[in-house]
Amino acid sequence: MSAAAAPVRPRRNRFLAGARLLLGSPPALFAALVLVGVVLVALFDDQVAPSGANDVDVQQRLQPPGAGHWFGTDDLGRDVLSRVVLGAKVSLQVGVVAVGFSLVCGVLVGLFAGFYGRWLDTALMRLMDVLFAFPAMLLAIAVIAILGPGTTNAMIAIGITYTPVFARVTRAAVLGVRESVFVRASRSVGASDPRLLFRHVLPNALPPIIVQTSVSLAFAVLAEAALSFVGLGTQPPAPSWGRMLAEGRGYVDLAWWIAVFPGLAIVVLVLAFNLLGDGLRDVLDPQQRSALEAARARSGRRRRRTPGRTS
Amino acid sequence: MTALAVRRTLQAVVVLLGVSVVTFALVHLVPGDPVRLALGTRFDQATYDALRERAGLDQPLVVQYLQWIGRAVTGDLGVSFRSGDPVTALILERLPATLSLALASILVALLIAVPLGTASALRPRSFVDGAATVLSQIGISVPEFWMGIMLILLFAGTLGWFPSSGYVPFTEDPALWLRSLVLPAVTTGLVSGSVLTRFTRSSVLEALGAEHVRTARAKGLPPRAVLDWHVLRNALLPLVTVTGVQLAYLLSGVVVVEIVFAWPGLGQLALQAVEARDYPVLQGAVLLFAFVFLLLNLVVDLLYSRLDPRISA
Amino acid sequence: MRRRTVLTSLAASSIAVAGCSTGEGVDTGGAGETGGGGGGDAAAFVAAISAQPDQLDPHKTTAYASFQVLENVYDTLVVPSADDLSMQPSLATGWTTSDDQLTWTFTLREGVVFHDGSPFTAEDVVFSYRRIIDQQLANSARFASVADVVAQDPTRVVLTLSAPTPNLLSNIGGFKGMAILPRSVDEASLTTKAVGTGPFRLESSGAGEIALTRFEDHWGQAPSIDGVTFQFITEPAAALTALTGDQVQWTDNVPAQQVASLAGDDAVELGQVASVDYWYLAMNCAKAPFDSRDVRRAVAFALDREAITEAARFDTARVNQTAIPEGSEWHHDYAPFTTDVDQAKSLLAGAGVGGPLTMGLMVTSEYPETVTAAQVIASQLEPLGITVDIQTEDFATWLDRQGRGDFDAFMLGWLGNIDPADFYNEQHRTDGPNNYQKYSNPVTDDLLDRAGVEGDRATRKSLYDQAAQQIVDDVSYLYLYNPDAIQAWKPGITGYETRADKAVDFETVTLPS
Repeated sequence: MSAAAAPVRPRRNRFLAGARLLLGSPPALFAALVLVGVVLVALFDDQVAPSGANDVDVQQRLQPPGAGHWFGTDDLGRDVLSRVVLGAKVSLQVGVVAVGFSLVCGVLVGLFAGFYGRWLDTALMRLMDVLFAFPAMLLAIAVIAILGPGTTNAMIAIGITYTPVFARVTRAAVLGVRESVFVRASRSVGASDPRLLFRHVLPNALPPIIVQTSVSLAFAVLAEAALSFVGLGTQPPAPSWGRMLAEGRGYVDLAWWIAVFPGLAIVVLVLAFNLLGDGLRDVLDPQQRSALEAARARSGRRRRRTPGRTS
Repeated sequence: MTALAVRRTLQAVVVLLGVSVVTFALVHLVPGDPVRLALGTRFDQATYDALRERAGLDQPLVVQYLQWIGRAVTGDLGVSFRSGDPVTALILERLPATLSLALASILVALLIAVPLGTASALRPRSFVDGAATVLSQIGISVPEFWMGIMLILLFAGTLGWFPSSGYVPFTEDPALWLRSLVLPAVTTGLVSGSVLTRFTRSSVLEALGAEHVRTARAKGLPPRAVLDWHVLRNALLPLVTVTGVQLAYLLSGVVVVEIVFAWPGLGQLALQAVEARDYPVLQGAVLLFAFVFLLLNLVVDLLYSRLDPRISA
Repeated sequence: MRRRTVLTSLAASSIAVAGCSTGEGVDTGGAGETGGGGGGDAAAFVAAISAQPDQLDPHKTTAYASFQVLENVYDTLVVPSADDLSMQPSLATGWTTSDDQLTWTFTLREGVVFHDGSPFTAEDVVFSYRRIIDQQLANSARFASVADVVAQDPTRVVLTLSAPTPNLLSNIGGFKGMAILPRSVDEASLTTKAVGTGPFRLESSGAGEIALTRFEDHWGQAPSIDGVTFQFITEPAAALTALTGDQVQWTDNVPAQQVASLAGDDAVELGQVASVDYWYLAMNCAKAPFDSRDVRRAVAFALDREAITEAARFDTARVNQTAIPEGSEWHHDYAPFTTDVDQAKSLLAGAGVGGPLTMGLMVTSEYPETVTAAQVIASQLEPLGITVDIQTEDFATWLDRQGRGDFDAFMLGWLGNIDPADFYNEQHRTDGPNNYQKYSNPVTDDLLDRAGVEGDRATRKSLYDQAAQQIVDDVSYLYLYNPDAIQAWKPGITGYETRADKAVDFETVTLPS
């Protein structure tokens, strides 16, 4: 693993170079812009949304998109644009909290299992295998059946469901750096275990974890939508994209806009997380990175050539 | 090889036991009294106690677990609270629908993924590659239930080519079976296909980048010429793994898609069991899912190690 | 060269897909035109219902989906007529009542056989009724006044009552929950099997569908269709597409918002009848602050029923502040509440509820209209300073919480009631079995008790009217609306009628030739 040499390099420059490399790829740039946009919308939802998300006005129901309501109104006369805007907050919240939960739990499990090995590894990873053996959606549904439906419980359910993935990714990365020259050297000069784990092992194991985080955010947004779609996630009248799809699907042929806009919103956000994950993988994977840098350098020279002929 | 097989199998059995404990615990943590729910709104205490006793719910949890798992080994998963049917029979009844959908979805996925993934790997950064990348990215990002609704709207509603929902058993009418299968299989197949396309692309790329291929390329052979069986074999190895995992995922019941298409599969059974607090059915279904998942993973593992002699640890 | 490889494989896959669709298209055409091929499905009749029956034991199930199937399999002694729901002979051809109203003698139809070939006799009636009474099954309250059931001879059954019961006929015939089973039946098998005397016999019940076949030895005219297949399609849009796509011939899973457009659609026949169902909001009379009559009345004044009804049902329901719909002979025109937020506020203030108030409103995804209505209710109670916390539960949890009294308020409906006693007794009498809101008013109890035994129809109606008024004024239930029964079927199908009690009877259906 060449990554063992990484901490010796000046970190900041590497980060900046990485960021430049990342944003140099059009898909990742697109993803970053979308995510910044969604976060801004979620932060300033009240300012952005033209009206309250729950302003029921039955007289105004099923209005098509137009000047008054850009995205039209739903079956209760609520402004779809406002609900999509407020739904962004729910989706992001659920995604971030749920993935944060699996990240913390999974990384800790993976760190300890990978670093200490032996029986602890076996015990922890078998437990993860057990959790992993459940179909994700079903496990989430079962957890919600116990805790009761709702946004918070959906976060916990999704968080539990995706914990094993982080544990596995972290453990694999830790195994890769555990026996590296660098870590062995630190150990030999008497560095304590926590110091070793969090100062040396974890940072070197970070790249795949970061990639996994981005990909998991995409999954979490999808999972929240699915849970809300079957009525187990976010509860009405709170606007959640999954719920809006569930409410809108009965109206697709009368009022396509109720289901189409939140559906598109899900696709765009999930796509952004996925693209960012891809971009991060390209940048953070050392092998890919050198190839990428080389390719960039080449395409810089041959800017007018059509893509696909670079080789 | 044999030692590996034995070890993997033992591991799988241990995990399965763990799964059974977690399943049992999860199901019994679900609030709501299943006996009360089974009896409806009105009943007398004697009936209540009788049913409780018959279901073994008056026993300590440990005893209940041991009884359940003991019988489960023999294929007896108990009887449904709701209908009184044996759980095994209920599951077997649903199995053809789930199997049909899972296999058809994988077929659709592979039909998309192998040609598209190979094509884009052969000409990276070409138009085909770009289109495949964009489409597979979108495919992964689209919620399945949303895709299902859109497909129903277009192909069942507007065009009227396929039924919007429902399942016809193969034994009843093979033609109708196929027709009922198309939309749900395409829905899940498109998503799985997107995942597999990406894997095919990257593994073909990797195989093409392998040393002997690079040598061949360096000698001036065009990529097409070096795309021989060896490359494909190496490229398809990872695909076997991922396909296996996807199949396991699909077999476990694509719960939400089954709901959208009114597909009487195992996922729907499990969801209904959750709603009705039908402990035996829920336990049985979840255990079966996990079993299938572990089994497929085991098979994939062993197959992989057989195909790729480098792996032995 | 490379390109060609790719194109070939892509083309191959698209041909495979196209191949399917073409082949299938031809197949549909064949089935649609004649159906005469090898399948022999000439008279197949497929009905799409929205849920799978929980079980098929008529005495135990309470699910509407079960009764949609059982209606065609079982019979009762008497049966509600399609036009005004008055009780008509069925397995009983006639009945006499003693002067003191305490002894009812039913004469049974002769020559009736069960699906298993055994003859129908008075003993089967006794067996069936005793089963309900002795095992305290779902509908045992309907026999509350029945002291004894005796088979006088093979064709005569005598019911002895402890008190006059003017609505005995609707009690024993209102729906198939009072079905007659053969006394030889294996009770445990009834959850999935059925042995009745109805026009269809249960062929198979499975996860995706339930199949019935014509019972040739039916005591009435044997049906003209070979059988009925019930398919479970949860998604209303899917059910409708299945209907227009010829996969099903009948469905009751018609989305309310589609009714207006379907009415003008030649491809679909629409049956729309005001039903006896009603939907309501109930607040917990045993829990502060909803134990205060004024608080409940404040809520009743704050709601705009028109908007709620419009939101939940479009134009397919009628606002009603009482339970029994207009058009029923038992309807009582009483509507004391008008939307008046000021009045509501002063009632709240008078009740000593100063600060903001939170009301947990329990609804269920099983009945999506409750979720829809709850959101409108929430927005209407907001100006009153009441924050509605909508709690969507699956039906199992919902029932459990209802049973335990663990709620501030809930919304649900009652289906298929016929006699006023059905509408009020169990729901509003102190300690009534369905009085989950714990309403108790001696005045109401007394009115209901007197009405229950009153033989004179006019007096009985006036007593029930008074009881209804009391119930509405006390807001035991906050009645919202009566929905229409909406069903749709393929044009050309005759002999089917949409009924106010939503009983689904395919006995006389004929398919277009």
